[in-house]
Amino acid sequence: MQNATRRHVLKAAAGAAVYGLAAPALATAQTLPPHERELYEAAKREGEITWYSGQYSAEGSEAVGRAFTERYPGVRCNVVRSTSQVAFQRLSQDARARVAQCDVFSSTNSGHFTLLKRENRLTQFRPRNADGMLESIRVADPDNFYQTTFLGLFQLGHNTQKVSEAEAPKSWTDLLEPKWRDQLAVGHPGFSGAIGVWAVQMRKMYGWDYFKRLEQNRPQIGRSSQDPVTLLNAGERTVGVCVPAGTTLLSISRGNPLRLIYPTEGVLATIAPSAIPRNAPHPNAAKLFMEYQASKEMSQVIRGLFAEPLRPDVPGPEGSLPLDQIKLLTPTLEEQEKGVPEVRELWRDTFGV
Amino acid sequence: MSRLSLRGLTKAYGKLTVVDHINLTLVEGEFVSLLGPSGCGKTTTLRMIAGFVEPTAGTVEMGGKIISAPGAVMPPERRQMSMIFQSYAIWPNMTVEENVAFGLKLRKLPAEEVRRRVAEILGVVQMGHLAGRYPAELSGGQQQRVALARAIVVKPDVLLLDEPLSNLDANLREEMRFEIRRVHDEFRITTVYVTHDQAEAMATSDRIAVMNAGRIEQVDAPHLLYTRPRTRFVASFIGRTNLLEARLENGDIRCDGFAMKALQLDPAMGGANRPILLSVRPQSIGLHCGRPGNGDGRPVIPGVIAQRVFLGETWDYVIQPAGSDMRLRVTAPPLQVHEVGDPVWMQLDPAQVAIVE
Amino acid sequence: MTNSATALREPATGSAGRRTGLLGRLRQVEPVALVWLVLVLLLLFLVVAPLAKLFMVSFETQDTGAFTLSNYLTAYGRARYLDALVNSLILGLTSATISVVLAVPMAWAVSRTDMPGKGITWAVVLGAFVMPPYLGAIGWILLAGPNSGVVNQLWRAITGAEGAFFNVYSFEGLSLVIALHSFPLVFIFVKAALDLVSSEMEDAANILGAGTWTAMRKVSLPLVWPSILGAFIIVFLETIALFGTPAIIGIPARINVVTTQLWQFFEYPVRVEVAAAYAMPLLLITIGMIVVQKLMLARKGFVSQTGKGGERRVIKLGPWRWALFGWCACVGALSVAMPLLILVQASFAKAWGRGVSLDNFTLRNYQLLLFEHEMAMTSIWNTIWFSAAAATLAVLIALLVAYIVNRRLVPFGEALGFLAMAPFVIPGIVMAIGFYAAYASPPLALYGTAAIIIFAFTARFLPIAYANSSAAIRAVHPEMEEAARILGSGRLHAISRVTAPLIKKALLGGWLIVFIVASRELSAAIFLVGPRTRTMSVLLYDLSEAGNFEVLAAFGGLLLLITLVFVAIGMKLVGRDFMLRRS
Repeated sequence: MQNATRRHVLKAAAGAAVYGLAAPALATAQTLPPHERELYEAAKREGEITWYSGQYSAEGSEAVGRAFTERYPGVRCNVVRSTSQVAFQRLSQDARARVAQCDVFSSTNSGHFTLLKRENRLTQFRPRNADGMLESIRVADPDNFYQTTFLGLFQLGHNTQKVSEAEAPKSWTDLLEPKWRDQLAVGHPGFSGAIGVWAVQMRKMYGWDYFKRLEQNRPQIGRSSQDPVTLLNAGERTVGVCVPAGTTLLSISRGNPLRLIYPTEGVLATIAPSAIPRNAPHPNAAKLFMEYQASKEMSQVIRGLFAEPLRPDVPGPEGSLPLDQIKLLTPTLEEQEKGVPEVRELWRDTFGV
Repeated sequence: MSRLSLRGLTKAYGKLTVVDHINLTLVEGEFVSLLGPSGCGKTTTLRMIAGFVEPTAGTVEMGGKIISAPGAVMPPERRQMSMIFQSYAIWPNMTVEENVAFGLKLRKLPAEEVRRRVAEILGVVQMGHLAGRYPAELSGGQQQRVALARAIVVKPDVLLLDEPLSNLDANLREEMRFEIRRVHDEFRITTVYVTHDQAEAMATSDRIAVMNAGRIEQVDAPHLLYTRPRTRFVASFIGRTNLLEARLENGDIRCDGFAMKALQLDPAMGGANRPILLSVRPQSIGLHCGRPGNGDGRPVIPGVIAQRVFLGETWDYVIQPAGSDMRLRVTAPPLQVHEVGDPVWMQLDPAQVAIVE
Repeated sequence: MTNSATALREPATGSAGRRTGLLGRLRQVEPVALVWLVLVLLLLFLVVAPLAKLFMVSFETQDTGAFTLSNYLTAYGRARYLDALVNSLILGLTSATISVVLAVPMAWAVSRTDMPGKGITWAVVLGAFVMPPYLGAIGWILLAGPNSGVVNQLWRAITGAEGAFFNVYSFEGLSLVIALHSFPLVFIFVKAALDLVSSEMEDAANILGAGTWTAMRKVSLPLVWPSILGAFIIVFLETIALFGTPAIIGIPARINVVTTQLWQFFEYPVRVEVAAAYAMPLLLITIGMIVVQKLMLARKGFVSQTGKGGERRVIKLGPWRWALFGWCACVGALSVAMPLLILVQASFAKAWGRGVSLDNFTLRNYQLLLFEHEMAMTSIWNTIWFSAAAATLAVLIALLVAYIVNRRLVPFGEALGFLAMAPFVIPGIVMAIGFYAAYASPPLALYGTAAIIIFAFTARFLPIAYANSSAAIRAVHPEMEEAARILGSGRLHAISRVTAPLIKKALLGGWLIVFIVASRELSAAIFLVGPRTRTMSVLLYDLSEAGNFEVLAAFGGLLLLITLVFVAIGMKLVGRDFMLRRS
């Protein structure tokens, strides 16, 4: 009764076509598809959702969170952005303390999800919006415990003022040449999920020896995979290893002298999912957020930040090659789950940190 | 031969003159005290001798060489002096031995000699058995002995002492007075001793310079200072006294109620008629129940007991002379009892009366 | 009727009688005994339980809780873990040594000499103290990054050299950057002690033949040796417990230390047990250092025992005073001026290595934080109120403990004082892990709440508040209160009407110091925060992962701004040197 009255009033306001504060909220509520509207009503009672985000950049994650709250007024998105391994560490610390704080968990290391699924710590949920996603990534888990929400391309990048296009490395193995000594920058598999996946892939292709030789070039090791982009902008290092295409393109769009390189062996693609923990304190809001991540709206938001959209109805970001023209390298989920902890340890032994 | 001379030594801080034109000369091996109330400038004088304070005017000379003058002060460390401080300034982080050896080591003496001289001097101050102790483990008197040993072990040309006993309790103070004098007799180091305690100065010094408001009022041997004070300040500062206003008239000294021949007091006394001040020590006045004979020319003054206090060793009477509103203090032995209001006769000994300008 | 009435009344009077008996007995108990009991419980909760839990957990098997020594085997079973421990020890010793070298001449100059520019030197020390160490670390990355750091660019431009003048990503870089923000501790300790050295101590050396420098070397400095040693230990402990700077500089420099290693034990699967076992030697080292300190100082006396006598005069240095001033100015430039300038520049830059130019100027970093980052504003608010709550709690507890201890109101009161001071020597990160082990899980389930962070901050900074309150209480003679009590005022009334007003200023000063150090604390917060309880320092750390130094600089600028507001309030209300006074 009360609800009906309120809706009635709102409808009247919309009918009057008043440019008021309530108008955009109303417009979205009006245009929501039924399955979202249902979830939205339940989510509003929960009021918020906490998102452990390791996939998009800090700026990107904040933008997604903000866009979500704008689309679904009354459901605040608490963005806890960190590197994927740290996000997983937070989740593990929560679990160890037997405290539930996370509603949606996103990581670039898919291995996290196979592990969580096996330990029966995830909620089964398939967003309806996923039907509109790229066919190749539409089904991440046949049992629907997790859902692809991130399509990350990780490549090489260089500072065009310090290194010309001709000189720049062309392949992952070019990085081992002595001329790149003290020139390289890379993230850390103990923090970044993508770097972990990349290390698994490189080990698969070239053996661990690849990293022993890379070490001799004394790359500067940061934490996040995005760390090198800042270093390249500043001119502290000249070649970024396994840098996210999105962050790099965004940086180029802001006038920084960078260029993306598509390594000849192929680009590392992390097709990474998100999931709702079984004990999520706001389950409905979490489901709504999963729907949102699969929606066209979110793909548009992240496209604005030069990340790869998940849907065919949103074109790829400016300045990037279409996906079908790129050779993608992706370790299997099993390889990721088993391999990342291994390479993390190996990395620490080889690089000392 | 004169060793240490202060000539016209003056220190002013802005408009405030703390030390005002002091002249003093010490012969070698002499022990001189600077005695005066706090704030009289004695410590500043000592610090000028030490080289810690630069004089505003005047000089300090050692063996004829100027070591302090305005704008030209030889730093303390080059003066071959040593000093004992009010707080002893025994370094608490060093043992007794290390404290005493400090100055010797700075003089780059061979280790063997340092050891020998430290042991020797600790023997002199009777601290040999405590050589390994830290200052915190010593009593005040023992710390004082360490300070003494540390100061004299370097065989300084001049030893300076700045109220060294003021932090000790009464018994220790008395003991240390004799200790300081004994050590001085043994080593004959030229010494300047600053104190506000006249008993200390008397017990230790060859001569005492009484200071007041930045000036030296009188320099004399202790007993002369007591018996022949030359200024009102010295008379009242050194022991207790009755100061009587009188007039010198044609060789007679006339006071309220009695008169004396000036020659009885001071053979050299003479000159024009003028007002003078007499200093009469309380214990130099005889007290009698009846009028005594006046055969030997000692003036007798009748009076009445106004107040009395029994102090154990003496009675302290306040007496009002007849026909005067003066108050005279007289001390008497314990058995000589007079009640308040009793009539008494006071007899002066002219030899013990001093004329103060 | 009457019979039953009396029968009814009888038990009633009986129970009433008992009640008055009990009440009477309660009335006999001074309220101070109840306060004492509450304090004991509080200190057990804040200090003893987390450490005891940490100790126990280090011997437990995960999940089953059975006794085991395997955690210790795991914690020390790998060369890399031992390397981290050794690195931390060397880092701690190096940073503490550099801090002493930087600070002792400054302390001596300000305390004893006629060096000019003492006011500026104060400002330098205060600035270095207030600036969070991780912010200084970021500043130094911008200054001394081997290729794009301003210092190195200048060096290459001037000398034409190829290499870097100073590479911040090195062991030297790490220890210097840490020392540049730890030296104020040494300064505060040593200056306070030097202030107590009577000039006569130096005069005595002078007159025996020692010049100014010899006197300083052989007398003044040895006299304050305990303070130097104490400050050295504190800096050492702070350094080995530091998390932000090693993460920001140490990882690129490939230096793994204890704190970054402890962090790794919290990776999946979370191994609190191993972390606890790994943290134990830190406590042993701490105990060891205190034992060494005791042995070194042994029977010797120092300045505190002889501090009362004698006046203090400034030593005239002549031209040397300019050399000393140069030293202070140099430290000031390195620790405050240079990092601050470069941070301000970076916060308005698109890319930090591109220098000052119009096309590199942007407000975007501030815009992102102030308007687009949902958590940034929340974290500012969190920082302020967590720190304020912790400061209030710490000062309150400290005041009561200090009062009870100083007035000897209960037997064994000193034990309370000991407990209140204990966190001083416990590395902050160990404390945090203790809190996680003890209170994160049910039954208390405080993990991620504001309470656990406030409690951890309170425990961590209790010693500062205690030292402060204790000094304040000691300054009020008990007779002041006794005078009030003999006129009929109860103890609590006397405290509130007589003692409290007398120590108000000192307490406010203590409150502000705790507030300021809490507002920049990272180590104690990093393991305890939840999504909505992140503080500015934690958010800064999160942001630092991606190396986005421009945004970091802007956020750091905001943090500094807030701190400075509180410092200014403190100076206004309590006096200029309230942060640096040590009593």
